[in-house]
Amino acid sequence: MLHVLIAAATLVCAIQAVRAARLLVSALWLAGASALVALEMYLLGAPEIAVIELSVGAGLVTVLFVFAINLTGEENLDERRMIPRPLAWVLLFSAGALLLIFILPGINQPATGQVYGTFREIFWEDRQLDTLLQILMILAGVLGVLGLLSDQKTDLTPSQKEHRA
Amino acid sequence: MTISIPTTVIIMVLGLIGIGIYALLTTRHLLKVIVALQLLVKGAMLALVLAGRLTGQEDLGQSLAITVIIADTIVAVIGMALAVQVRRVIGTLDLRSLTSLRR
Amino acid sequence: MAEPLILLTVGLPWLGALLCWAAGDRHPRLQHTLAVSFSVAAGIAALLLIPFGYERPLVTLPIGGAFGDFTFSPDGLGVFLAAVATVIGSLAVIFSVDYMRGEAQLGRYYAFVLFFIGAMVGLVLTTNLLLMFVFWEITALTSYALISFHNDDPKAVAGGIKALIITQFGGLGLLIGALVLFAHTGSYDILAVIANPGLLPAGALAWMAFGCLAAAAAKSAQFPFQTWLPDAMEAPTPISALIHAATMVNAGVYLLARFFPAFEGVPGWREAVMAVGMLSALLAAVMAIVATDLKRVLAYSTVSQLGYMVYAVGAGGVFAAQFHLLSHSVFKALLFLGAGAVIHSVGTRDMRQMGGLGKKMPFVRLVFVIGALALAGLPVLNGFWSKELILEAGLEHGNPLWMLIVMLVVSGLTAFYTFRMVWLVFYGQQRAELHAHEAGTAMKVALAPLAFGTLTTWLLAGSFSRLLSESLPAHPISAHSTGEILLEVLTAPVTLIAVLVIGLGLAAWWQRDRLTGFAPALAGIGKAAANSFGFEAVNRAVVVVMEDSAEKLRSTQTGMLSWNVASLLVALIVVLAILALGVGLP
Repeated sequence: MLHVLIAAATLVCAIQAVRAARLLVSALWLAGASALVALEMYLLGAPEIAVIELSVGAGLVTVLFVFAINLTGEENLDERRMIPRPLAWVLLFSAGALLLIFILPGINQPATGQVYGTFREIFWEDRQLDTLLQILMILAGVLGVLGLLSDQKTDLTPSQKEHRA
Repeated sequence: MTISIPTTVIIMVLGLIGIGIYALLTTRHLLKVIVALQLLVKGAMLALVLAGRLTGQEDLGQSLAITVIIADTIVAVIGMALAVQVRRVIGTLDLRSLTSLRR
Repeated sequence: MAEPLILLTVGLPWLGALLCWAAGDRHPRLQHTLAVSFSVAAGIAALLLIPFGYERPLVTLPIGGAFGDFTFSPDGLGVFLAAVATVIGSLAVIFSVDYMRGEAQLGRYYAFVLFFIGAMVGLVLTTNLLLMFVFWEITALTSYALISFHNDDPKAVAGGIKALIITQFGGLGLLIGALVLFAHTGSYDILAVIANPGLLPAGALAWMAFGCLAAAAAKSAQFPFQTWLPDAMEAPTPISALIHAATMVNAGVYLLARFFPAFEGVPGWREAVMAVGMLSALLAAVMAIVATDLKRVLAYSTVSQLGYMVYAVGAGGVFAAQFHLLSHSVFKALLFLGAGAVIHSVGTRDMRQMGGLGKKMPFVRLVFVIGALALAGLPVLNGFWSKELILEAGLEHGNPLWMLIVMLVVSGLTAFYTFRMVWLVFYGQQRAELHAHEAGTAMKVALAPLAFGTLTTWLLAGSFSRLLSESLPAHPISAHSTGEILLEVLTAPVTLIAVLVIGLGLAAWWQRDRLTGFAPALAGIGKAAANSFGFEAVNRAVVVVMEDSAEKLRSTQTGMLSWNVASLLVALIVVLAILALGVGLP
């Protein structure tokens, strides 16, 4: 029952995050969804991942969001959409229905398959290259933050000036 | 009637991914795109943890989920940095005005 | 001990590349110093690696389960090419100190050169075919970036893109080979398939063999992909010497030689390899006779000499091919760097404007003539011995005699165009007001060892054959001493014929005035050769078709995120629907 409640609450948060007109509100709903996903993962037996998701997904990203919204300011765009809503619904439902055909039969079967090793072995030994690349990605993220924080330099190149004018 | 835990989580996963894609299809705001991506990826992450549980390889699923968290956070950070710069240079976050790469 | 050396040989140039780039273009002296010291250090590491070639230790870098481990093994073929890449690489870098002095964006230049050297070493040392493909593509990328180094010159950009597209096409062949290998054996280990080709069914092996042949032909600028190399001559001359003469273009020959024991039995493969080599050698030699651009003549001669090596592999003479590869790397790097000194000095590449430069540049003339004699295949220089070994291999294993005769004719043509080139540049009357000066110190430092190598590398024949025969058990190579090899070459009848043909080529150049009677008869061939036998027209047609279709597809690129996501979703639906229909509803 708890799981059903969490699922419902998560989906409500997600829908609100998408629907909210103000970006700040949207970011807060997103943080809520993230926290609930973390809780669900904790219940599924992945406490470490839950902690990371809670601190990074719900914490850090939200802070950065507020920061970015501060820098860019709220901007109300008119409601005209690029893709008509009915088309979006049709696409989504056909993809979802097709996926369900594949997912449903296997869902409540008991666990099979061999176990490859402990978390530590898998993460640090079997997936060495992945781990290295993740470190590189984190470096890229740091550069991104620097871009976010860089002061309001306005020395634009000529073509950018043209574009602005 | 009782709903099993895996079924609940699957509904959650499909819901998050569906909402994320719906937002990607309809939104025009660059920061909203990042919100949508975050929702979508949370669904994927949950799916990995669930898959690990269903196949009895929980550690493998969790190690992949960590990778997804890292990748997704960095996407968000870089996306926000880009959005700030776009706002500064072009003056709007409307996706429609971001088509200048096309010729 | 071998493990750190291998990692150093690949890693040092890459580290140097990063540092050169990070040093910034405001410190050109620091960049020169860094580039020279890192490339020389890599060269020393590669030379120290050679003794390990006999033991073939296997170095494994575990990267997880998905692609198999990254493995490196320094066997004879590998260490030899790694040494060539790093040693000639460091000489080219030293030469660049003079040649590139005062150029803008040195960081980009040195970073790509060093990146290339490291990738080339990795390419020849790895035994994981997927990793080899990755290194293969890195060399293609750096080659493109360096051909287009002067990116404000439209010709340089066009030449770079042409090289990139054609070598990418060949890269597909290698990728097919790698995937076929993985599909049938579950690993990318090439040593297994070389030791036991029966691992793969005959049909799969044929796919792999011809995929690798396409890859090798594209990389080594062989028929029908030879058109990119002449256009690559827009690169700075040290690059032409390093990448487009001494190392990267050898990767194709390396690939064929490496897999020779596995592909030997594929029906038609050896004949196809020999035909590709022969056609390349012949067509390129004819084009070299009519070319007027100094670097293009050298480029055509590279295609032609690579044709000799490919022909030798097809003929079963793996040792001859590799020995000629060694000779060619040394003397062609010498010729290119010598040409670079001339071009740097007079500021043009057009041989019709040169002439009589020998008096002003005696040192460059001396080393250039040494290189030219080796290219022509005159006795005692390294090119002579290796070329004779190839021609001898053409006689064995029941290879078709007519191909050998064509190759003999080509050696005469080689002598002819080589002497035409030397004469037009260094001798005769000066034809234009050119201000020439002798080469700088760094240039001389790079040229002297190459000239010395051209005079002496043939003395290594014995130890080279021992290295290859001991470390490559699957290859048909037997160890001989230097004396035995030299004696064998000297007493073979084909040597005598070849020397006569080469002499004939020389005589034809000395007596060119008397031969004017033939000129009208040969005018047609000359004209066709100047138009590169129609291959350029085919290239242009391909480019036009590609550009037209791309232009028509442009309207699908809205640049709107929502439509992109919608198309992703449609693709997902299509894939899922196919799966649902194909697999059947569960």
